[in-house]
Amino acid sequence: MANFNLRKAEPKDVPDILRLIKELAKYEEMEDQVILTEKDLLEDGFGNHPFYHCVVADVPAEHQKVEGYSVIGFAMYYFTYDPWIGKLLYLEDFYVMKEYRGFGIGSEILKTLSDTAVKNRCSSMHFIVAESNKASIDFYKRRGASDLSLQEGWRLFRIDKENLLKMSAEE
Amino acid sequence: MDFTIRAATLEDCKDISRMILELAEYEKASDQVKITQRDLEQDGFSKNPFFHGIIAEVPEHHKSREGHTKVGYSLYFYTYSSWKGRAVYMEDLYVMPEFRGKGIGKALMSKVSQLGLAAGCTQLNFTVLDWNKSSLDFYLKQGCWDVTSDLGYHCMRCEGDALEHLAQGDL
Repeated sequence: MANFNLRKAEPKDVPDILRLIKELAKYEEMEDQVILTEKDLLEDGFGNHPFYHCVVADVPAEHQKVEGYSVIGFAMYYFTYDPWIGKLLYLEDFYVMKEYRGFGIGSEILKTLSDTAVKNRCSSMHFIVAESNKASIDFYKRRGASDLSLQEGWRLFRIDKENLLKMSAEE
Repeated sequence: MDFTIRAATLEDCKDISRMILELAEYEKASDQVKITQRDLEQDGFSKNPFFHGIIAEVPEHHKSREGHTKVGYSLYFYTYSSWKGRAVYMEDLYVMPEFRGKGIGKALMSKVSQLGLAAGCTQLNFTVLDWNKSSLDFYLKQGCWDVTSDLGYHCMRCEGDALEHLAQGDL
């Protein structure tokens, strides 16, 4: 099975994008954390000021292994900024359905994204991986990625909405 | 001490550039700063900015030893969580050493939170170096949590030759 197509996501892909987001979250044992809706994805990705960009991988009808689905992989990304080196491409999600792995689809998606990064004069592509996800870490390290948390000691911090509200109300 | 927090303008880029270098020195990495004042002007103040900035300013009679009234800044941009939607990323937060302990850092962070919430964000994310104890303590006090520690997420990077090879499909 070599027949697949990579293309820019369109509004009609939103239900499939959400389905794949949830599948990836399930793989990371975090599916109850996904509160995003199709409406959010539509507004935030296909309005005047998109918060994200998406590429999807689809297969023609005769290659569908799973009933009814032709969109079988995706990557969600956006552009960020490092005041030391400038523009970066940030890879938020990257996933290929289990039944379609091992055919080079993931590699092709990553190649497309790297190409996008280089064409947009980004000096780097950043992303996060859970340290327990050994298969993914190996996949990325084989392609030259370095682990900034281990090598440079960077830790990702977060403030959730409740504390954001408290902080924004302080004088 | 009297200070104001306001949106950065093109004219602030000279001071932002100065303070970026000061922050890089504090992080023991000033040789890694490649971005110039001109890059900041183009990347932050054109039609499609890659980042936004806020400045902390003190009145003339409180100016620094070297005569600066712009004594702190934060650089931020909008990102996207495939689980929760819109998020804001605080890339830099810095207050000149002689102006610390007066609530300026907290006020800058509060402003970023307000702006993020106004834009519909439910999270504020940022990274901290694991040896930066005073910053770690400050952030934990604001209600932040360490995603790297709690969820095991590592920050990864693919840059330079590795990025080029990936774009060309080499393995």
